[in-house]
This record gives sequence, C-alpha cells and structure tokens, in this order.
Amino acid sequence: MTALLGLPPIGRQAPSEDVAEALRELTAIEFQIGETATDIDVTVAPAQLTQLVEALQARPKLAFDFLRNIVGIDFTPEGMALKYQFYSFRWGHGLQVTVPTSVGHPRVPSIVRFYPAADWHEREAAEMFGFVFDGHPNPKNLLLEEDLHIHPLLKAHPLQPAEILQGIEEGPPGFKI
Amino acid sequence: MTPFLASGAIFGIWNWTDAIIRILIIVLVMTVVVVYLTYGERKVIARFQQRLGPTRTGPAGLLQGLADALKLVAKEDLRPATADRWVFEFAPYATFIPVLMVLVVLPFAEDWGVRNLALGMFFVFAVLGLNIVGMLMAGLGSGNKFALLGGIRAAAQMISYEIPLVLSLLSVAMIARTLDLNAIAAGQSFTPESGQHAPYVVLQPLAFLIFFTAMLSELHRAPFDIPVAESEIVGGYFVEYSGIRWSMFQLTEYASMWAWSVFGSVVFLGGWAVPDTHTWAGPDWAWQLGITLIKSLAWIIAIMWIRVTVPRLRIDQLMSFCWKVLLPLALAQLLANGFILEYDGPDILLTLTSALGAVALLALIIFRAVKRPKSKLVGTYRQVQVSTP
Amino acid sequence: MSIWPEERVLAPGAAEFDSVDMTINIGPQHPATHGVFRMVLTVDGEVVVDCEPYIGYLHRGLEKLTENNDYRQAMGYWDRTDYLAGMACEVPYCMAVERIAGIEVPERAEYIRVIMAELSRINSHFMFAGAFGADVGSFGTSFIYAWRERERIYDLFEEVAGDRMFPTYIRIGGVAMDLPDNFEQRCRWVLGSIRQGIEDLDGLLTGNEIFVERCRNLSPLTSERAIALGVTGPLLRATGLQWDLRKAEPYGIYDRMKFDIPWRADLQGDIFDRFWMRLAEMYQSARIIEQCLDEMPKSGLVLNPDLPKTLRIDKGECYFRYEGTKGEYGVYAYARGGNKPYRMKLRSPSFCNLSALREMVVGNYIADAIIILGSLDIVLGEVDK
Repeated sequence: MTALLGLPPIGRQAPSEDVAEALRELTAIEFQIGETATDIDVTVAPAQLTQLVEALQARPKLAFDFLRNIVGIDFTPEGMALKYQFYSFRWGHGLQVTVPTSVGHPRVPSIVRFYPAADWHEREAAEMFGFVFDGHPNPKNLLLEEDLHIHPLLKAHPLQPAEILQGIEEGPPGFKI
Repeated sequence: MTPFLASGAIFGIWNWTDAIIRILIIVLVMTVVVVYLTYGERKVIARFQQRLGPTRTGPAGLLQGLADALKLVAKEDLRPATADRWVFEFAPYATFIPVLMVLVVLPFAEDWGVRNLALGMFFVFAVLGLNIVGMLMAGLGSGNKFALLGGIRAAAQMISYEIPLVLSLLSVAMIARTLDLNAIAAGQSFTPESGQHAPYVVLQPLAFLIFFTAMLSELHRAPFDIPVAESEIVGGYFVEYSGIRWSMFQLTEYASMWAWSVFGSVVFLGGWAVPDTHTWAGPDWAWQLGITLIKSLAWIIAIMWIRVTVPRLRIDQLMSFCWKVLLPLALAQLLANGFILEYDGPDILLTLTSALGAVALLALIIFRAVKRPKSKLVGTYRQVQVSTP
Repeated sequence: MSIWPEERVLAPGAAEFDSVDMTINIGPQHPATHGVFRMVLTVDGEVVVDCEPYIGYLHRGLEKLTENNDYRQAMGYWDRTDYLAGMACEVPYCMAVERIAGIEVPERAEYIRVIMAELSRINSHFMFAGAFGADVGSFGTSFIYAWRERERIYDLFEEVAGDRMFPTYIRIGGVAMDLPDNFEQRCRWVLGSIRQGIEDLDGLLTGNEIFVERCRNLSPLTSERAIALGVTGPLLRATGLQWDLRKAEPYGIYDRMKFDIPWRADLQGDIFDRFWMRLAEMYQSARIIEQCLDEMPKSGLVLNPDLPKTLRIDKGECYFRYEGTKGEYGVYAYARGGNKPYRMKLRSPSFCNLSALREMVVGNYIADAIIILGSLDIVLGEVDK
C-alpha cells in the first residue's frame, strides 16, 4: 500500500531548504517565508490562498496531501489570521500557511474541495471566530448550538457565566451577545 | 365413574376443577422458576466473566430475584403520549399468554402435566407462533422507531426460523409416529425388546442442531438477539415499557426459555423416560421430575454459555443462514427419513444419514472460515513486519 | 451454497417498491455512542442512506480556558480531553510549551513520560477492544476482560501519581515526582498481566467466526482516501500505510526505542483490521515500556531545576504533533509574552476521524453503522474539546 504513495513510507524528512526552494518556484503568488519552532511558515493574502493551496497539492516537489489542522487567531486590533498546517506523506515534510485577514473582513476562500478534511475545521473556525469561508458546502455551527451566533474565542468575548451568554440572566450593562 | 371425573386426575375431582388447580400450580412454579432463572443467569454469566454476580441480597444473593420483582412491581407504569393505548397495554399479555399455553402440554414426568394432548407437539408450535403478534403489537404500538425496528425484526426473524424449526420437529414426529409428547418421550426409553428407540438426538443429530439453532432464534438469545439488540436498538420492541409491563416481557423471556428447554429435552433427549426409572427404588415421579429438571438446566446453561461467548449476527446474515442453509438441510433430512421409514430401514441408517447432514453443516461453516484469506488470525498481532525507518 | 451473501442483492421487484425513508435519532443517550454523541441516520428499511453527526454536547471551551489560565494551571484541562488516556494528553501539552519556551527535560523524566504515555495507550486500546466487543454484541465479556487490565493499570497510576484517570502528573520541564521504589517490579507484573489480557481478547474475539464475519470487508478504506479525510492513527495504519509519528517525526526519546509499526500483507482498512491493529499496537507498547524499564537511569532528577517560579514566554509559535492514542494529537501554541498562552489549539484525532464517519456509514446496515462508529474509537471529551 505504501508503494502507492510513491516513496519509502516513513522517517524520510526532507530538509526544510527543499520546501523553501520548491516554494520559490511559485512566482505567480506573493508570499513571505518565515519559520516557527516546528515548521516553515508561509504568509499569503486571502485572495491568493486558493492558488497557493492548489499548487501545494499538485506540484510534485511539494505534494502536500494531508491537511492537519486549521487554527484561527484573533490579533485584535490588527485583525485576525488563519493558520493551516499541511503535511506531505510523500516527502515527509510539514508546512504552515498563515492567512491574515483585515479588520472587519474575515473572508477566506474555503479549501474543502481540495482537502475534504477541511470541512469540520473550517466550520469550527467559522463559529469560534466569525470567519466566513466562501464556498463551504455546509456552513453550520458544529460545536455550539445551531442558533447561537456568538464567537467565543474572540479576545473581545467576555468571560461570563453560561446563564448570561444564553440569555437566561441579564448581563452587565452594555453587554451584548 | 361419572364422565366428570378424569381418569388420571391426581385430585380425583371434576375434570375442570382439576385443570384449574393444575394451571394454578404450574403458574406458581413458573414464577418461582423465572425468579431463580434470572438470579441463576446473573450468577452464571458473572462466573463466566470473572465476577461474582449478586451477593448482597440474602445468603449468596438468593433473594435478588425477589427484590428485583418487588422493585419492578412498585415502579411507575409509563405510557408514551404517542403510543396507541390499547395496543401498547395489551402487548405484554399477548406475548406472555402463548408461553403459558405451551406449559399446559409439557410432560414434566410420566403423565405429569396439566393435560396430555394427542396433538401436543402440533399444539406447541401452533401456539408459540402467536408470540409474534404480541411483539408486533409492542413494536407498532409504542410510537417509537427503535421499537418499530425491533418489532419488524422480531417478526421477520421468528417467521423465518419457524420453518426449519417445524421441519426438524416433523422429522422426529415421523420416527415417533405420534404427536403426543408423552408418547414421544416414552418412545425413547431405549429398550430394544419393546421396540423403543434411542433418544432422538442420537437418531437425528442434524434435526437436533437445527432445532437448537432455531430455538435460540425464537428465544432472541445470542447470537440471534437482533430484535432486542441493546447496542443497536436499545432493547427493541420493549424499549418504551417500564414497571410491571416490562417485567411481563422479562417473564415471557425466561418462561419461554424454560418451556423450550423442557420441550427440547422431551423431544430430543428423552425427557423423563431416559434413563428408565421404572426399576429404581423410590417413587417414579420424583426420579422423573429430577431427570427433567437436570436436562432442562443443562439446556439452559448451554444457552447462557453461548450468550456470553459469541457476538451478534447481522440481520441479512441471519436470514440467509436460515433460508440458504437450515431450510434445505431440514428438507433433505425430512426426505431421507421418508425413504428410510417407507422401506423399513434400521435405526442405524437414520443415525448415519442425519449425522452425515450434521457433519455437512459443520463442515460448511468450517470450510467457509478456512477459505477466508485471513483464516489463521489468532495470535497474529504478535508477528508484525519489522519496519525500516 | 454460501452462508453469507457476498454482495447485498435486492429482492426481485424491490426496485419498483415505493418505500419511505425513516430518520432515526441515535444519541445523545444511546449505549453505543460512547458518550454524548448524536447521529441522525436516514434509513431505508435497515440500510443507512444518510448520516449526519452532531457533536458539541461536551464542549467545555478548552481553548478559551487555556488562554485565560497560567501555563501550569491549564494542565488540568488538557488531561480531560482524551479522558481514557489522561497521561498521553498531558505529555503533548507540556512538550508544546517546552518547545516554545526552550525548556530542557531531564533524561529520567523523559523515560517516565514514555512509560506513562504508553501505559495510557494500552489503557485506551483496552477500552476500545472491550467496548467494541460490546458493540458487536458480545454480552459484556470482552468488556470485563478489558476492564480487568485497565483496573491494574489505573492502580499503577494511582501508586505513581495519586490519581487514576486525571493524574496531572506530567509537568512542564519533567514530571511531578519520582517513581515509587517498587515501581519497576510492579510495572513488570502489570505488563505480564497486560499480555495475558491481550491474549484473552484475541482468543475471545479474533478467534470468533461471527465476529470476523461481522467485521471483515466492512467499510474498507484506502490509504489515499484516509489521508484526504484527515484520518490518522490506528485507522490510517490499518489501511496498510506504515506511518506513525513516533517513527516519522520522533520526539522525546522515541528514536532510541525498538518497536515495529504493525503491518500485515492483507491489510485493507476494514473494521477487522482496525481491531487487529489496536491489539498489535498494545503489544508493541508493552515492548516499549519494557525497554524503558531496562534502559532508564536508576536515579536522577525528574524535574528541570532551573525553571522560573512563573513561566513567561515572550514569543513563540509551534505546532507540536504527537502520536496520541487515537491518532495525531496536535497542539498549536502561540505565545506573545505574559504567563498565559495567546492561543492554544488542539487538533484532536477523534474529531478528525469522526468527520469521516458519514462516508463510512452510508450504504451499510444500521447494525454496521454502530460498529463502524465503535471502530473509530472516539472519545467525546476530545471531539468536543
């Protein structure tokens, strides 16, 4: 079965320079390469995310076939960001893609059609932060109640007892869900 | 001697009074048996699973069954708002009464039963078929989808398995040349000079296997507990019942297990007649009652043993096993018996043909298991391939 | 003549029948959902046409809580994610924080962590095997067999850490306290008992014809599809792909351990292979623990002595991945000064595996849907965070 994926199965970790070099061939996309404690980090604008993801999946030198995780972060007042973690079973390397969004416009294209695994991750990020994923097939709340439109992981979201959040009791003056 | 006095009545009174007294006795005995069967099942299964089972209520937990019964009677009897009232409330009785009616004809010792019917065996499977009605009533009347699925599953399963069951019993009836249960038992007492046969489990091993399998299915015991599967449909047709009505279902389950065990041991193991107690010291009836008790207990423990060991089949596997395997084999058995009995073949021929069929049934299952690509599986988790990093 | 149908055929004329689909709500209170999980099955008779999972009944706001607690205070929330393997959740949390803070861990503590994590893995897999047997319909026997070994492991945890399920024993920079004196002897005894337990379950379930018939060829999964759906852990390895983070991206001291990733030539990712894979993994985990006991430094520090009183991390970002009991247990940590993380995110393996449920269930029988759900081995604490 491992032969189907092309290469010896495990333990092959390409040096991170290989990934950086392969990324530099993508001249049509504007991005910056950085680094985290574990992966290479690529920052790209939301408008070019689809293009980048398509290239990440299709280019044989990159071949990122596995979406590990999608993380949303609230950088208020500088807007928000999404972090996508990818992994390539073929080459054994990982990559993080950062997509910063501007204040008040948390719109990002959905990548479900490239990675089916992104479905639930995107729904979670959408309900927790208020991101809008364009083209998501089933944009409903996942972990929260279906008609509860609050975004608890925003830094502005106050720490309050559940009764106040659910509207059973009255919150402090000026508090709005 | 007036016609009102039954010749064999133990109380020497009018026939109908005698019948009522006997029915009362059998109902009381059945209640006690059921209470201690639940206790026994919990105890036996606990030992199979390295546990102790009930120990706290009474000495060695002996009063546990009574405590459970008391609790169930005291519980509130709930009825869902969406239930069909009369169907829902009568369903437990509709399942219970057929089992009670079966107990009427079972011979626990020579001529010891409520009534000894000339068509006893026919009566048993005619009456037990009525069980399905109660289960369907419970399933449809509860207004619950799990109950509906359970009721439909129960109906499909019981109707299917009734056929091999009846055919396997017919092949015994052909040899016995009677449907009277007392005569069937007496016919197995194994004395060649009187022309009696060996127990029918020796003469008809295939029929015995088919009967045992189909009986498990009729009883909804593992591996055929599909209509009441706890992990899938949470109890099936009786999911909405509580209190006394739920305990009626429980009563039905254990009473029918007991009834089937006695019936099976009468038909296949010789009932009270094997071994022959007529030459033993002491009263015949006491020996015979003891023999019946031991045989039915062995039968019940076999059922419990199977329950703790095997997982559950899926409904399509269950159905195809019935229609594709059990039914053709039962028919072949019937046909072979017909030929042998028509030409007055010896008993050994009956044994041989039936044993051949039994071996074929087992071989089919074993062959099927061995043919599978992963046949030798046990212990393979230790031999894994060394991976090279 | 075959006993079981090789393929599910329609009855003659079934195509012309007008049948109405029915929806069945399974959960949140249902014995087979392993917690508070709900799925709505649309069934046509006994066949599942559609399945919609609903989660979130156990959502406790793990990430928000972590953001508002000190690095050390938040520990207690993390071992409540995969509550069947508490220790195996504390380790990745601590390792992620150590990664961004650059904290060293003493060697003896590394060994202790591996022992505890592998014991937790065995614990969790035993729970799977027992509960899976119950799902398939074995009347609690497999459950009790598994429970016997789990009790012994929990007793060992209690001796070591003072608590059974949620020990909070692993600390940032090491472990909370040293092992008790007779630990090695006790642990070897427990390992012997575990091996016997695996044998028992193997004999009871793997050796059972009905069990194999139920699970064989049910909802097989190819490696490619598993990767696309984000399925990891034993489920991915059961498809035949030898991928284990302990080998692919070794962390801690796993590069010193000799163990195999279970593999058989005829793995196809069906329900049976998932069961088999977990049995084999328990066996390999026992091997790892034995090596740790042999090679472990007999004395020494178990907690980094240079840690500050309050841990403050100025800047750091990492996505730490760990081979959890259910799959890739990823911890994303982002620090921006202060004694609290700015953002912590759990990539929980159960969550990702469960998202593939719909695709596996559709087209099978209701009874199969239950055991497919059981074979995913979800823990709702981890799914709902």
